[in-house]
Amino acid sequence: MTIVGPRSLRLGVAGPVGTGKSSLIAMICRELAAELNLGVITNDIYTDEDARFLRSAGVLDPQRIRAVETGACPHTAIRDDVTANLLAVEDLEADFAPLDVVLVESGGDNLTATFSPALVDAQIFVLDVAGGGDVARKGGPGIGRADLLVVNKTDLGPYVGVDVPAMIADGRAARDGRPVLGVSRLDRESIDALTSWVRSVLASFRSGTHVAVDPGPMAPHFHAIDEGQGYTHAHEHADHPHQHAGPATTRA
Amino acid sequence: MLLADARLPTGAHTQSAGLEPAIRAGLPAESIPAYIRARLRTVTTVEAGAAVVARSRTLTGTTDLAADLAKVDLAWRARTISPAMRETAALLGRGYVRLLSTMWPAAPAVAALATLHGTNRGGTGRAVVLGVAATLAGLSADQLVRLIGYEEAQTVAAAALKLEPLDPMDSTGWVIDVQPEIERMVDELSSITDVADIPAVGAPLIEQWAEIHATTTQRLFRA
Repeated sequence: MTIVGPRSLRLGVAGPVGTGKSSLIAMICRELAAELNLGVITNDIYTDEDARFLRSAGVLDPQRIRAVETGACPHTAIRDDVTANLLAVEDLEADFAPLDVVLVESGGDNLTATFSPALVDAQIFVLDVAGGGDVARKGGPGIGRADLLVVNKTDLGPYVGVDVPAMIADGRAARDGRPVLGVSRLDRESIDALTSWVRSVLASFRSGTHVAVDPGPMAPHFHAIDEGQGYTHAHEHADHPHQHAGPATTRA
Repeated sequence: MLLADARLPTGAHTQSAGLEPAIRAGLPAESIPAYIRARLRTVTTVEAGAAVVARSRTLTGTTDLAADLAKVDLAWRARTISPAMRETAALLGRGYVRLLSTMWPAAPAVAALATLHGTNRGGTGRAVVLGVAATLAGLSADQLVRLIGYEEAQTVAAAALKLEPLDPMDSTGWVIDVQPEIERMVDELSSITDVADIPAVGAPLIEQWAEIHATTTQRLFRA
């Protein structure tokens, strides 16, 4: 299938089960649907639950939200064999041309799941404070090198005994200055920061300066091991590009 | 070998070869080997027969290969009653066309496939695409049929492990056990050159399950 004109920005959203990937996508759609032409692909593990949730959220025309079955292999579908997702993205782009952004939601997976650059141009990795304050410190390719790390549900911090600023600082330490964003659906400022990040990636994608960065399946960063005494770089960074999308927002 | 490898990036991991709806409809795990044989004798025989003819057409190099391949595809469609199964095969066909376009970008047969897929989202079924792939990869008709039979059996066996509590050693045994069935397909199909000789053997229950699955919301596999 040939897409006439420039294709959409393909933005992946990955992260463990229950961290709020669908809600984050719903938030982006709610905030940006008026100014951008959007589409969504979901990769549900066993149902089209996420697609139905997004449709029922009423933030986007239901026909623009499509579910792709992954044969119980959510990781494969975004990484080793992206065929099913890629065909679905192309169909969506053709049916609703011209789309500005297609959001691809991974089925909830573990900390090692990241998107192949063959499928998406940029990716968000989503953690949440309720999943445990130590998760950001555990690192992994998504936490360490996704284009944006979101620490979601920051409003729940006091209820689950998690020090949110410390968790975000852990994320920063694991990411060599790549953006980290604490997000809560109750925090207007955080929502604005998220949408301005999406806009900046889109602008950079359109201007041709955006380079898809592969977080890769490599072993995680272990910066936090050296906690309290600064951190050392035991790994080589020269083998993957470090260009980032425009004035990406970083806030605690 | 690569064409029958589940790690080939063509979307095969999204498929159960109809096993998921079969199990949901009550097929017991001990009947899965019989299910594999039933598929090999019916829908897989039709698909492999069409693939053999498509290979033969591509090898001969007719003046309008796209039109010729479309005729083979039409013959396969006429023998594949379930719209859901045709749609699934077309989707898988697109996955293979994507791969072939990368591996053999200059091949006229790939251009013919791209023409067929470019004008119609349904494109051609997987059978025709595999026939072209076999030609480009230098496979004989025997090898092509064997590959399609093996891939079908292995798809069911692999999906079974996701759907039922089974020992992977047992499901591997099923694939080995159906080898004579696959060789029978090779004998029956590998010398076909005319679309009229593609067997027309349906499997109404498998087709009905495919139709039900197409409208099921809670599913692991696309088909």
